[in-house]
Amino acid sequence: MNYIQLEKLGEGTYATVYKGRSRATNEIVALKEIHLDPEEGTPSTAIREISLMKELNHPNILHLHDVIHTENKLVLVFEYCEQDLKRYMDTHGVRGALDPATVRSFMYQLLRGTAYCHDNRVLHRDLKPQNLLINRKGELKIGDFGLARAYGVPVNTYSNEVVTLWYRAPDVLMGSRNYDAAIDIWSCGCIMAEMITGMPLFRGRDNPDQLLAIMKIIGTPEDRVIKKMAQETPDIQFKTYPRFPKVPWPNILPGASAQACDLIDRLLQFDPTSRPNALDALFHPYFTDPTAHHPNSTNVPQPVPVGVMPAPVFHMLPNGQSVYMPQPSNAPGTRAAAPQPYQYAAMNDPNMARHPAYSEQGHPPPFAGQPIHPPQYAQVPAYAYGQHVHPQAHMPAQAAPQQQQQQQQPQQPAVYPVPGYPQYPGR
Amino acid sequence: MSLPHPLLYPLASAAQIAQTLSRADALPAWLEEDLRAEGCRLIQSAGILLGAPQVVMATAQVLFQRFWYVTSMREFSVSQIAMGALYLASKLEEHIARMRDIINIFDLLLSRLRYSLAHPDSPLDSFKYTPMSYFSNEYYTYKDELIIAEMQLLKRLAFNVQVQLPYNTMVNYLNVLGLGRVEGLAQKAWGFLNDALQTPVYAVYPFPTIACASIHLAAREIGVCLPEPPEREPWWALFDADLEDMEQVCGWVLRLYRKQDEEEREVVHNLILGGRREVRKWLDERARQADV
Ligand SMILES: Nc1ncnc2c1ncn2[C@@H]1O[C@H](COP(=O)(O)OP(=O)(O)OP(=O)(O)O)[C@@H](O)[C@H]1O
Ligand SMILES: [Mg+2]
Repeated sequence: MNYIQLEKLGEGTYATVYKGRSRATNEIVALKEIHLDPEEGTPSTAIREISLMKELNHPNILHLHDVIHTENKLVLVFEYCEQDLKRYMDTHGVRGALDPATVRSFMYQLLRGTAYCHDNRVLHRDLKPQNLLINRKGELKIGDFGLARAYGVPVNTYSNEVVTLWYRAPDVLMGSRNYDAAIDIWSCGCIMAEMITGMPLFRGRDNPDQLLAIMKIIGTPEDRVIKKMAQETPDIQFKTYPRFPKVPWPNILPGASAQACDLIDRLLQFDPTSRPNALDALFHPYFTDPTAHHPNSTNVPQPVPVGVMPAPVFHMLPNGQSVYMPQPSNAPGTRAAAPQPYQYAAMNDPNMARHPAYSEQGHPPPFAGQPIHPPQYAQVPAYAYGQHVHPQAHMPAQAAPQQQQQQQQPQQPAVYPVPGYPQYPGR
Repeated sequence: MSLPHPLLYPLASAAQIAQTLSRADALPAWLEEDLRAEGCRLIQSAGILLGAPQVVMATAQVLFQRFWYVTSMREFSVSQIAMGALYLASKLEEHIARMRDIINIFDLLLSRLRYSLAHPDSPLDSFKYTPMSYFSNEYYTYKDELIIAEMQLLKRLAFNVQVQLPYNTMVNYLNVLGLGRVEGLAQKAWGFLNDALQTPVYAVYPFPTIACASIHLAAREIGVCLPEPPEREPWWALFDADLEDMEQVCGWVLRLYRKQDEEEREVVHNLILGGRREVRKWLDERARQADV
């Protein structure tokens, strides 16, 4: 393998993530190892993750450098990040709560990454603090696209078993299978509240309990709203729920600014059609109003530059032309025509075991208050592999990864799990 | 059109289209075309028996077609890749099929084909399928093949397994053109989109072109007038399609309906059953005959 495996960084349900170093460039990377089960073949989570992430290139999306495919495992090579957001909150927060400027910076980056996904017709479907990664520069990167899917034109209904329970939108909890981008927006709202207080906002034990936990805070919606949702979504049955009043946000988020409360309120709308899209949310006064600036942050993340509008999400075609520069949907502006898909050139990879998902230099500039460069699509080689290689020829050639190369690193203090911090339920 | 653009999906490159690897291996174009179509029909029948939704079969057929732009039929068997594509598509479209079900169904379909070739005169009802035993070697051979097929599909397509189907787009276009309510038009076009799955067009043309071609063809069949070019801009320009490409797509689809020569059909079925070994034998035999 072209990477030296270092210590373990984390474990997910179907993969183990290690720190690694490139033999060629010494660059530190994250190696996500996925075991290939002889009974199931390649896990569908890995198929989704790779096929979608190789198309996404944005400073707030974890960058997939490479995929190494051997007979019995798949290794995804990602850019390295210091911590996931959950651990960041545990180590940098005051009992998990982050200071307002950091919350604002992370929210801005989260929504920007989410807007980029949605603009590319990708639903993440599993946004939660453990799946958001923070690097040394305070950049937030959305990772773990194992549950993501493309949602082009809705032809079919999707799985209902998405999003870890505490971040699952009420429409999904009620059975909706033709949800859209609004389910990610709900998760963003949950994450924002969690960053402010240090505690997950809605902590249900199971599906119905989660729905009640939501209603106990944002209030039971009027029957009219539930009827409307049932009408728009065939999977949702009309039901009457216990009546809970809405708790004012300042009671739940002590110390949060009025604008922060207002943004959370909009993100956490019971009816999915009332939630703003990610791009609109970036234009909320919480981000754009100069008075919302909190200058006394000591933490690394840079606050959003005041007065600078979020960079529009747009695409470069291979011919250098850029398309689709969306305005917030209330501003006048038009969308350009859909770009034609590219004619992919064959990639000459003699052993076909490596698929550079991107060319080596394709790293986006860091986000530090400067305007963000548009995502570069043209570098994505795809439909590669035109080479003639015998099907088995490449398989034995793969050297076993260096299991024993564990480097002795100073032990990090055990900060996880923090006592009193509720355990995250599984999916 | 102000439709949001979808995630990028791959299309074959001009070089890949100009000469497929099977043709580079001297497989005649007609035979490759027929083998692809037969493989797609295998996927469709298997999917129906599996009870999978149509989107799974459609996705599988597109992946199957893409694969033959990066691999020669000398290297992999059509039925093996058909099986792998169906399994992969079932994962992508969130209706995961059990490996054992897929294998049993392909075994049934291939056994039936073998029977009908061996007994050309007896009706198909006389065919009795005996399932493989649970731990038979046969089953494990199939299973290895299925795993290899899935892995090779992923590898050779470099995980470019996102598929955009044009069904809803076609219906939207009809509505934009004000033809949404024309009796039978949408059904006809829908049918052409289904049939087009047996051809390579989904791996070669952008999906709006395919949607336009299906409308073009359906309108011609039913005798519906579409806005013609001299008046204004041609209607397909509205959807970024190109008439020449649309005609190409129509050509692929219409070729499916031509009557197949009996002898050719037998060659196709034999090569499906015999897989890559039979393809090699057939090609070597032909090369020998050409030398004489
Ligand atoms: N690029 C990275 N840099 C540093 N740590 C990482 C990186 N990617 C993942 N990790 C760590 O590994 C953990 C598991 O990764 P990931 O969420 O991608 O795996 P998963 O198996 O998909 O998890 P899940 O259980 O959510 O399905 C993360 O929560 C994070 O702590
Ligand atoms: Mg995870």
